[in-house]
Amino acid sequence: MLHRAHFAVTVISKDRPGIVADTAEVLYRLGCNLEDSSCTLLGGDFAMILTVSHPKPFSKVRLLDEFRRLHDEKGVVAHVRTLSPEELDNPSPVGELCLISVYGADRPGIVYRVTRELAEFQVSIADLNTRVVGSKESPVYVMMLEAYLPEGMTVGEADGLLAGLRLELNVEIGVKAITPVSL
Amino acid sequence: MPARTILQYPHPLLKLPCSPVELIDQEVRDLLVDLVETMRQGPGSVGVAAPQIGVSLRLCVVDVSMSKLGKESNHGLLHLINPEIVEARGAATMREGCMSIPAYTGDVERPTRITLRYSDGGGNPRELAVEGFEAVAIQHEIDHLNGILFLDRITSVKTGLFRRKNYR
Repeated sequence: MLHRAHFAVTVISKDRPGIVADTAEVLYRLGCNLEDSSCTLLGGDFAMILTVSHPKPFSKVRLLDEFRRLHDEKGVVAHVRTLSPEELDNPSPVGELCLISVYGADRPGIVYRVTRELAEFQVSIADLNTRVVGSKESPVYVMMLEAYLPEGMTVGEADGLLAGLRLELNVEIGVKAITPVSL
Repeated sequence: MPARTILQYPHPLLKLPCSPVELIDQEVRDLLVDLVETMRQGPGSVGVAAPQIGVSLRLCVVDVSMSKLGKESNHGLLHLINPEIVEARGAATMREGCMSIPAYTGDVERPTRITLRYSDGGGNPRELAVEGFEAVAIQHEIDHLNGILFLDRITSVKTGLFRRKNYR
């Protein structure tokens, strides 16, 4: 039996119009499907994280060859990794989904300390964005993340667990339930 | 009457504004029964609109009384024929999912308090003030009657669309 081939592709390039189109064209011409993607502007670079599939067994080398050509012609840097069947198996999380917002005067270690604490409580991050805002003289660090709490943990409990960190880092930390609804 | 199959986008009927119900006859009453059956069968569903089961008429059913967010404040099972929002206030964002667009949810901002005019299942004209989750659910269903899906209402591209994981 023939299995679909799956790859994780990351692309990063100095921002300009056409990066997504160039990347999507390579994938389209090779007959690959774009399964999932997250693409955004990071500073002056445009970054793309994609999972792609091919309906038939497909060599990673062909992808790499095409992306090498794209690199030579347009400066786009891509990385390709083959995804194993185990990696494709992603059971739905069971715990409560919440939005955790963190902000405060910029200082080293905010992301590290907050995410380490969350990891220790078995909180699973689904989405994370960070940005430095405010003025040059007094920069403010903002981190927004969506995370699944471990089964049985309430939003109130999660909020309480982060109390110590608020004092240690002198940052504001808020935890809110998201609660997707089916209509 | 059996629960009916929910149409899924890109079925063209889901993007078509529905016609008003002119006469509340047996056919319409049967349709209301089917809508309720279909809603009860959907996992965690709190509303179904006629176009979702293939009928392009302005009627829908809503019942949030058994949901976590709606059980505190609700009007039980509502049969809404030719519903119309006559007043809307407030705004709140909720992550909505829809049986016609499975596997995705998106953040949609809607008024939190609405006043509604409609005919009930017996054809009696009614006016009702609704708030909270029930108001969100009713607006979502009325959107269906106008050919509007929650995908049309997502405002934030960056975090507006999420893979659906679970429901409460």
